Amino acid sequence: MSMVIEIENLTRKYGKGIGEVVAINEISLNIEYGEFTAIIGPSGSGKSTLLNLIGGLDKSDSGSVLLAGRDIAKMSGSQMSDFRRDRIGFIFQAYNLIPVLSAEENIEYIMLLQGIPSVKRKERVQEMLFLVGLEGLGHRRPSELSGGQQQRVAVARAMASKPEIILADEPTANLDSKTGMALLDMMRQLNEDQGVTFVFSTHDEMIMKRARRLIHLRDGLVALDERNSNATP
Amino acid sequence: MLMIRQAWRNIFRNIRRTVLTCTLIASSLIVIILVDTLINSMTGLMVKGITETIEGEAQIYHSGFRDQYDPELYISDPKSIISKLDSDDEIKTYASRVIVPSMIGSSYNSDGVVLYGVDAEKESNTSRLQSAIIEGDYLSGSDRELLLGRLIAEKLEVGIGDRIVITSSEINTNQMIQELFRVSGIVQFGPKELDEGFAFINLSTAQRIFNIGEGVHQIAIRFNNPELANSPDLDIYKTLPSDTLEVKGWLALQPGLGAMLEMTGLSTLIMGTILFILASLGVVNSIFMSIYERTYELAVSKAIGTRPSGIASLVLLEGLFLALISCFFGIIITFILGIFLQESGLSLGVMEFSGVAFPDNIPVKLTLDQYVNFPFYVVLLTLVAAIYPAIFAARIVPAQAVQKAL
Repeated sequence: MSMVIEIENLTRKYGKGIGEVVAINEISLNIEYGEFTAIIGPSGSGKSTLLNLIGGLDKSDSGSVLLAGRDIAKMSGSQMSDFRRDRIGFIFQAYNLIPVLSAEENIEYIMLLQGIPSVKRKERVQEMLFLVGLEGLGHRRPSELSGGQQQRVAVARAMASKPEIILADEPTANLDSKTGMALLDMMRQLNEDQGVTFVFSTHDEMIMKRARRLIHLRDGLVALDERNSNATP
Repeated sequence: MLMIRQAWRNIFRNIRRTVLTCTLIASSLIVIILVDTLINSMTGLMVKGITETIEGEAQIYHSGFRDQYDPELYISDPKSIISKLDSDDEIKTYASRVIVPSMIGSSYNSDGVVLYGVDAEKESNTSRLQSAIIEGDYLSGSDRELLLGRLIAEKLEVGIGDRIVITSSEINTNQMIQELFRVSGIVQFGPKELDEGFAFINLSTAQRIFNIGEGVHQIAIRFNNPELANSPDLDIYKTLPSDTLEVKGWLALQPGLGAMLEMTGLSTLIMGTILFILASLGVVNSIFMSIYERTYELAVSKAIGTRPSGIASLVLLEGLFLALISCFFGIIITFILGIFLQESGLSLGVMEFSGVAFPDNIPVKLTLDQYVNFPFYVVLLTLVAAIYPAIFAARIVPAQAVQKAL
């Protein structure tokens, strides 16, 4: 299979001199289209930094990231914005949604950025809400939804733009374990049904078990990259 | 459309802050409109005070007369000028005058005055002389009647019917002349220099005692449209001037007043600028607070693909809404205040400024352009003020902002 993410000798340092911290230390790895990959490791191991670098939210000090064959370091700010808009979906830990917009509007937002016509947007919003099990709740503002429901809307928004990759930085961190598991199950279902590549970070052991590939990070290095053949169905 | 909705809802996320910011902007708008109205009213009164009291909106006189008010510089044959004035559609009215500095004396006192010989009927349409009478009667054409300013009358200790002697010299021969008059009326214009230094007799009497035939020193003019008074395109400015005549509008006659009007315009501009800068700082502060509170949210928006220009546009839209809301309430409040002030006037007490007496109640009139121009400037300046926060928001680095927020 072809690679959707190709990372080579990627390094990211913070601070200078004696206070310098190497968050990502010459990491090289590839992720294929349609994978359901977890980046795991303790706090400070570099999970979020790696996801930020993959998503072009942060700039590396050296090395390269190729997304769908394109070197993101060579893109301008606007090109990167457009690339993220069209080809990458993001899910963050919390406060993912724009609070003044309803669930429907949050999902519609990214399609609006893509310039999709209104009628198509509305159709796809309902489709996405159905997909994440929130039909009938689209008019609610984020404050009127539970944490789990908010993350489902975030997933729906990430899916709405029909991206090739969805990057999720500890998407279950602020959810109770039951809700977190349900969210992961839903993400895996979307991965299987829609073929979207999911890369998410977590340090929750229960969540890790759902992933088909586990990339263990420790001190900015890939300590272990393994296939999880025993992934919980 | 979604961005407009988002911006609109964003400004109501912190209602207290929005109310305070809008109050600041609206207050600035109200103050600047009212100050501009007051200044317009006062300058209007000042111009009217000068042009309607005695000066007229324009004057025709012998070249050099106004430099030293030399009585020898008079228009000896005003007939041709008067026939031109009669046929000019722009001219509403005019009044010929003989003006001679004289000594005035009563049984008790004497002083110097400027003696005006006026055409009673035409003068009543041109200046406020008739309406300024506070005691006695206006000139009827009788040879020995005289109108006296209130303050000079008090100084001379004379009243209606008392005898007054005018001492002066014949204009062409310089022979001393003395003429007896009776006070027929006391006038009060307001400005001290008029009420203590002016006396009025009939034009024909003045022409006779100063022996100048039908000559006059000055013809004061008022126009159908006073706003055109200083327009060089008017016929009288183009056709009348010659080697011996000068024709000038009130701005040229009163250069000090013109300079003062420019100053008032400048002072309004300075005050408006200061007010709007203060209000703009409030807007900048408010928008920055709002951005800092939403750093994570803006970072997420940027992360999912909103371009920097999209983020900047959102912030500018919020600034625009703040300005529009402020202007809406500012205009309503100003309109209500305007109705009240137009009915009651603005009471600043009786005062005299630059030779013009202001009434106790200054009439206030708000105009449509004030309701349009100033709010337009407010919206424009608020948008300008929002540019810096908008650029700041557009430059948020998602990864850093997310880390800071968490």
